[in-house]
Amino acid sequence: MNWTSSTMRMAWRNLWRNPRRTMLALSAIGLSVMLVLAYTSILRAYGEWIVETITGPMLGHVQAHAPQWRKDRLMDRTLRGVDAQLVELRRDPDVASATARVYAPALAARGEEGFAVIVMGIDSRAESGPARLLTDVAEPLREREAFIGRQLAELMNVRAGDEVAVVGQGVDGSLANDLFTVKAIVTTSVDLINRQGILIQLSTAQTLFAMPDEAHEIVIHARHPEMASTLSRRLASATVFAGAEVLDWQTLAPEMVTLVRITDLAGLLVLMLVFIAAAAGVANTMVMATFERTREFGMLLALGTHPARLMRLVVAESIALGVVGAVMGSLLGIALVVITHRTGIDYSWLAGGGPSELSFAGLRFSLRFYPTLRVVDVARAIAAVVVTSLLAATWPALRASRLQPVRALRGV
Amino acid sequence: MRSFLCAVIAAALIAVCSAGAASPAMGPDQPDVDRLLQHLDDLYRSKSSVARIQIDVTSTRSTRSMRLRAWTRGEEEVLVLIEAPPREAGTATLRVGNNLWNYLPKIARTIRVPPAAMLGSWMGTDFSNDDLVKESSRRKDFVARVDRRSDTPPGWWLVLDVKSGVVGRWARIEVLVSDERLPVEERHYDRKGRLARTMHFDDVKVLGGRRLPAHIALVPADAAGQRTEMRYLDVQFDVPLSDDTFSLSRLERTRR
Amino acid sequence: MGTAGTYALRSLRRNARRTALSIVGIGIGCALALFMESLNRGRDELFARMGAYGGAGHVRVVPKGWRERRDPRLRLANSSADVNAVRQLGGVAAVTLRARAQGLVAMGAHVVPVEIVGVDPDTEPGTNRFARTVSQGRYLHSSERNAVVIGQAIADRLVAGLDDDILVTAVGRNGDIESLLLRIVGIVRTGSDEIDATICQVALPDVERLTGLTGAGEVTLILEDWERADVVKAALTQAIGGADEVVTWGEISPEFKGHLEQDNAVSRLVSVIILLIVVLGVASAQLAAVLERRREFAVLSALGMRSRMIIAILLQEALAIGMASAALGLLLGLPFVWTLATHGIDLSQYMGASYSFQGVLIEPVIYGDVGVWTAWYVLVVAIVVTVIASLYPAWFASRTNPADALRVS
Repeated sequence: MNWTSSTMRMAWRNLWRNPRRTMLALSAIGLSVMLVLAYTSILRAYGEWIVETITGPMLGHVQAHAPQWRKDRLMDRTLRGVDAQLVELRRDPDVASATARVYAPALAARGEEGFAVIVMGIDSRAESGPARLLTDVAEPLREREAFIGRQLAELMNVRAGDEVAVVGQGVDGSLANDLFTVKAIVTTSVDLINRQGILIQLSTAQTLFAMPDEAHEIVIHARHPEMASTLSRRLASATVFAGAEVLDWQTLAPEMVTLVRITDLAGLLVLMLVFIAAAAGVANTMVMATFERTREFGMLLALGTHPARLMRLVVAESIALGVVGAVMGSLLGIALVVITHRTGIDYSWLAGGGPSELSFAGLRFSLRFYPTLRVVDVARAIAAVVVTSLLAATWPALRASRLQPVRALRGV
Repeated sequence: MRSFLCAVIAAALIAVCSAGAASPAMGPDQPDVDRLLQHLDDLYRSKSSVARIQIDVTSTRSTRSMRLRAWTRGEEEVLVLIEAPPREAGTATLRVGNNLWNYLPKIARTIRVPPAAMLGSWMGTDFSNDDLVKESSRRKDFVARVDRRSDTPPGWWLVLDVKSGVVGRWARIEVLVSDERLPVEERHYDRKGRLARTMHFDDVKVLGGRRLPAHIALVPADAAGQRTEMRYLDVQFDVPLSDDTFSLSRLERTRR
Repeated sequence: MGTAGTYALRSLRRNARRTALSIVGIGIGCALALFMESLNRGRDELFARMGAYGGAGHVRVVPKGWRERRDPRLRLANSSADVNAVRQLGGVAAVTLRARAQGLVAMGAHVVPVEIVGVDPDTEPGTNRFARTVSQGRYLHSSERNAVVIGQAIADRLVAGLDDDILVTAVGRNGDIESLLLRIVGIVRTGSDEIDATICQVALPDVERLTGLTGAGEVTLILEDWERADVVKAALTQAIGGADEVVTWGEISPEFKGHLEQDNAVSRLVSVIILLIVVLGVASAQLAAVLERRREFAVLSALGMRSRMIIAILLQEALAIGMASAALGLLLGLPFVWTLATHGIDLSQYMGASYSFQGVLIEPVIYGDVGVWTAWYVLVVAIVVTVIASLYPAWFASRTNPADALRVS
C-alpha cells in the first residue's frame, strides 16, 4: 500500500467535514482513555499504598538484628555500637531514614497490680510522621515520659498524667525499674503495641536496661521502596553490619508479601478487563461511525476514487481519530491524576462512610491514597487505542472498498 | 524476675522437714540407696530458716553477683531481700502461697506479679521453674541404683531413673555422692536422654549445725560459658520467726 | 405495543447491522462487568476465608468479659447449652470448642512461653487450616490424651522433635501451677515463624487438668454463607439468653474485616469505571447513529410525529437492544463466570518460590461467585447502560429541526 501524505491530509479533512460526529467519537475515545488511566493510577496508588502501609510504621524496608534475636527474643542478643551504625546508615544515599529500637518484656503497674507489657525504647522524633509508628503525636518523649497503647491503658485504667512503675531486667540480668509519667495514650498501626506496649525514649531504655550504645533492632527506610531487597543485600555485606542479620521486609513478613501479591494480581486482572472494555468501546465507535457513512463512500467511489485508496483513507481516519482521541484523553487523565495526587483521595465515603482507618493483620491503614501514573502507563494506553482503532477499522474499510457505488449512494 | 528467682531458689532449697546431725561416713561397701536418697532430699530442708546467700551468674557477656538474705517458713512463705550490689540493695520479694510481690526501693513501690509472669523464664540464671516452685522428691519420683564406685573424689555414682507416670523434666539423674554422704556432682538428662545440665557441689562446711556443701554451681550443657553459682554465707535452720515476717507491710519496711 | 414500539422494532430490523453491532458492544461490556463482579465477590470470599480459617471462625460464643479483657482463663458459663443453641441454627458448616491457658513448654533446660489451646480433635480440623496441614507426624486423634501438636518454631527452640515428651506447665485458677508431660505427635510449619510460635494444641480435657478450669472458653462456628454472620449472631444471642456473649469475626479480627471493606471500596470504584467506559462506548455509537438518522427523524417530524414520540421510539429501541444485550452478555459471560466459580483462579504460581509455605496461611485461589444474582445483574446493567446511553441521543434527535435536516444533503 502506498501511504502518501495526501492520504493523511484528506483523512484529516474528512474527519472535520462532519465535526459533530468526529467530536463525538473523539470524546468517546478520549474519555475511555481517561478512565483507563484513572484506573491505572488508582491501581498503582493502591499497590504502593499497601506496601507503604505495611512497611511504614513498624516493619520498615530493611531491618538489622543480632543473629537469633528474632527466634528467642532474649534481652542480651543486641546489636553493639549502634550509634556508629546509625551515623553510617544515614550517610548512605539509598537510605531515607534509620532508627534503633529496644524491646524489653517487663511488668508495669499503676497501683499494686502488675501487668505483663513490652517496653519499647524508640527515637520518638524519628518514628513520628504520616506513615510512621506515631502518627498523632506532637512532641517527642522526654526522659521520664512514656506513651501507652490504648487497649493497655484501658486494661490498666491509666490516663495521661498518671505515673506508672516499670520493672524489667537489664541485659546483664540486673533489675531494671523506674517510674514513668504517661505523656499520652496512643493508637498506633501495630496491634501488639496497642495491646501491650509502653513506649519510652531510646536513650532512657538503653540506660534503664544497662545497654549503652546497644539496641535490639535497627529499622531502615529506603529512598526507593522497590529497591528494598537490593539495599538489604548490600547492607548485609557492609562492614558496619558485620555479624548482624540484615533482612528485607519481604523475608521478615512473608504473609504480607502474599497479601500484596494477591492484591496486585487481582488488580492486573481487572486492568485487563478495563482495557478490553475500553477497546470494545473504541472498536464499536469506529465500526459504527464507518458504517454510517456508506452513502458518503458511495459518493467517493462513484467519483472515481480507487477502492484501495478508499480503504487507506478509512484506516487513516481511524488511526487519526484514535491517536487524537487517545492523546486528548491522556492529557485529561494526567490532569486528573496531578490534581488528586497532591491532595490524595480519601475514599472512606466509598467504603460506606465507615472509619477513616482500617486494619489488617495488626496494622492500621489510613484510607487516603495518592494516585500515580508512569510514562509507560500513558504509552500503553495510547498504543492500545491505536492498535484497536487499526483493527476496528479493517472490516469497515474492506467493506467500504468493496461497495458498489450505486447501491452505496442509495444508502444501502 | 531475678528477685523472684532468688525467692524461689531459697524456697526450694530451704523447706520442710528436719535433718539429722552429721551423718556417718560411708565406706567402700555399697550404700543403702533408699536411705541415701532420703538423706539427700532432706539435706537443705527445714521448717524455717534464715540465710545469707551469694549468687553469681556468668554469661558470655558479663558476670554479676548478688548477695541476699532469705527467710523461709514451710513451703509456702519466702521473703528475700537483696543486700548487694548497692544499686539493687533494698529490693525485696515476698511469696505467700501463689501470690508474689516485689518491693522496689528505688521507686518505693510494691507490685504484684501476675500469675502468667511467674512462669517466666529465669532470665539471667539457669535455674528453671521446676527446680523451685514444685517440690520434687528424688526418693519418691525416681528408681535409684548404685552404678559404680568413684575414686577421686571417693564416693559412689548413683543412677536415678524417673518412674513412669511422674511428671517432670528429667528422665535420668546421675549423682556422685561422696563417702560423707554429700552430693558432689549431679548430671541431669532430659526426656530424650541428652545431658541438659550439670550441678557441682563443693566447699563443704558446717552451716546451721549441718555439714553441707556451701557452694552449688549449675552449668547448662549447651550454653557455652554460662553458669549460675550459689554460695551459702551463713544459714540458721528451724529458727522461730515472727508472724508478720511474711507480710506486705514487712516487705516494705525491710531494711538491711 | 403502540406506535412507538412497533416503529422501534421495525427500525431495528431495518438496520440489522447497526443493531447487531450495538448489541454486541453492550453485550461484551455486560459480560465484562459480570466477570468483574464475580471476581470481586470471589476476592471478598477469599479474605473472609483467610480470617475465618485461621481459627477465628465466622461467629464465636465467648464468656462475658472476654471482649474487654481477652484473658485465656475465662470460661463459658454453659458451653453445652451454647452448643445446643448452635445445633438448632441453620447454615452452620462446622462447630468447634476450645479452651486456652497461658503456660510454658520445656524440654530439659530449654523453655518457651506459649498459649496452650485445648481443642476437640474431631471438630477442630473443620475450622482451622493449621490443624489440617501438619508437616511432620499427624494431628491429634479423637479422645487422645497426653499428646500435643506444636509449631516448628517452638520445636526448634526446644530442640525437640516428633515423639519427644515435653513438659507443659500452665497457670490455672487461683494462680495454681500445674504440669503435664505430653508427647509431640505432630509439628506444624506454616512458613511464618510468628504464627508457628503460637501453635500449641492439646486435647481439651488436658487443658482442664492443667488449669483446674472445666469446660470450654469458646465455641467457634464456620458458616456456610459468611455474609450472614451478623444475622447468625443476633439469632444466637437470643437463643443463648445472656449467660454468654456472641461475637462475629469482624469483632474477633477487625483487621480482616477492615481489609474487606477497603477492598470493597476499591472494587466499587473500579466497577463504576468499567461501566462508565461501557456507557461511553454505547452512547457515542448511539449518538453517531442518531446523527445519521436525522433525515429520518426530520421526515417523521414533518409528518407530524411529536418529539415525545420520537424520544419514546429511541428509548424503546434502547430497551429492546438492552434486553438482547443482556441475553448476549449472559451467554458470553456465563461460561467464564462458571469456570471461575468452579475452578477458580489459582494465583499460586505467581506467588514466587516461597509460596509452598504460604499455602497453609491461605489458599490463594479466587473462586468467583455465581448464582441467581448473575441473571439479574446482567439484565439491570444492560438496561441501565443502554437507556442512560440513549438519553442524550434521544433528546438530541427530538430537537432536530425538520427543515434544516431535510435540506442538508
